[in-house]
Amino acid sequence: MNIDLSRRSFLKLAGAGVAATTLGSMGFGEAEAQELALIRPFKLATLTEIRNTCPYCSVACGIIMYSKGDVRKEQAELIHVEGDVDHPTNRGTLCPKGAALKDFVRSETRLSQPMIRRPGADKMEPISWDDALDRIARAMKDDRDENLVQFNEAGVPVNRWTTAGFLAASATTNETAWATFKAVKGMGIAGFDNQARV
Amino acid sequence: MSLSPDPSVIGGVSSPKFARVPKAELPFARRATRLRHLAKSSHLAPYLRFLADLAEAQQRVADTLGAADPLDAELVERNRSYRMPPLDRAALIASGSMKTALGALVSEAAKIDMPAAARAALEELSLAPESDCQTMLGQLSAGQVPEGLSAHAVFAAAALQVVAVRQAAAIDAQKLVPISVGTCPACGGQPGVSMVTATQHQEGARYACCATCATEWNEVRVKCLCCGSTKGISYRAIDDGSTASVIKAEVCDECHSWVKILYQNLDTALEPVADDVASLGLDALMRDTEWKRGGFNAFLSGY
Repeated sequence: MNIDLSRRSFLKLAGAGVAATTLGSMGFGEAEAQELALIRPFKLATLTEIRNTCPYCSVACGIIMYSKGDVRKEQAELIHVEGDVDHPTNRGTLCPKGAALKDFVRSETRLSQPMIRRPGADKMEPISWDDALDRIARAMKDDRDENLVQFNEAGVPVNRWTTAGFLAASATTNETAWATFKAVKGMGIAGFDNQARV
Repeated sequence: MSLSPDPSVIGGVSSPKFARVPKAELPFARRATRLRHLAKSSHLAPYLRFLADLAEAQQRVADTLGAADPLDAELVERNRSYRMPPLDRAALIASGSMKTALGALVSEAAKIDMPAAARAALEELSLAPESDCQTMLGQLSAGQVPEGLSAHAVFAAAALQVVAVRQAAAIDAQKLVPISVGTCPACGGQPGVSMVTATQHQEGARYACCATCATEWNEVRVKCLCCGSTKGISYRAIDDGSTASVIKAEVCDECHSWVKILYQNLDTALEPVADDVASLGLDALMRDTEWKRGGFNAFLSGY
């Protein structure tokens, strides 16, 4: 339906100047001009609403995170979090922990970098990611070398490491959960929860 | 009335219906009330009051027409099986009730106090040949305002709304099926705005509001109503220092269009047509950006 309706077919059409807006052509141009003058000093605020998954537990509720600013282009500040009505798991609802996510994200005590409490110390101190990962790898290797069970009671070869545990986050994708499972079970860790249960 | 407490009222899980057709008492009276309320605190007051009068005229025309006959069940079933809307806009425009409604609306609207330019347009519309009116209604139902005829279009669109809304109210909402993104499941029309509702048991769900027949249908949040993309969606609002804007522009970087979104969960009084017009300031600011308005409102063309 794209027939071009000619102005000429309307009889006695008044005036030559065609007002561009409905308000102008209806004779409400003055009110429109006042509104435009009022709005001119204002700017547009950029806001975002982004879907995500609640990181707390394995239920993996859908959430909508409201921010001021667009983190894909600049800095953004989280202003509100609510349950995602379109999400099949929670259909808009959140538990008390999930409902308090904004405060969790913006908490002053939120962990934002790797920290270490050295032997005998009473405080945590920052450590670089490289150092932290090296230390974790070292500690795991030492523990595994010391405690790995290689044969069961019947003498059958097994890969059983029971002195270390591994907890993964709930907001991971299937692919991440699969890779985590492979890596962790490959090392023989028995106490493992990648929160992919639901 | 039982005095026993009913905690289920405050709890409960949202289960949004797919579509909500207009109720038997059509939306025009509520729209008029809202427009008059908005007029109290807006520079656009003269126009908002005019639209309130027009909405009341629409209500009067709808009252004279009475309730619409239900659609042919066989046709509804056939269209449904092809995922087509039950209302045929072309047939609606060609129908006898459309002609009656247009005539009635023109004479009802003539009683409204309005500027000379508007009155001249109304008179021209009343004298226009049938074929011109049909073409104009066709364009309006397709989401276009004929160029240079935006004043005439206001009255024609008002009449079209009466006929379409009245017919949509006679539809069984349960029988509607999703057609495609941004397409009304009742009449195939284009949305004007979308609305995050606060209706009990549907809280937080987003409904697109048909600009023609006022049917509301559920669309997933954070999705472009013009192209269906969920990528690159962001929002713009007038920066007045508040963090919870009740009306925002939902912007899509994929197709470079934007559609207004009204948050009824923040302000239950919001009305899809009235607040769209009253929030013209947002349109004015968005006009200077790279995005094009995607929502249709015949009372607000040029933005």
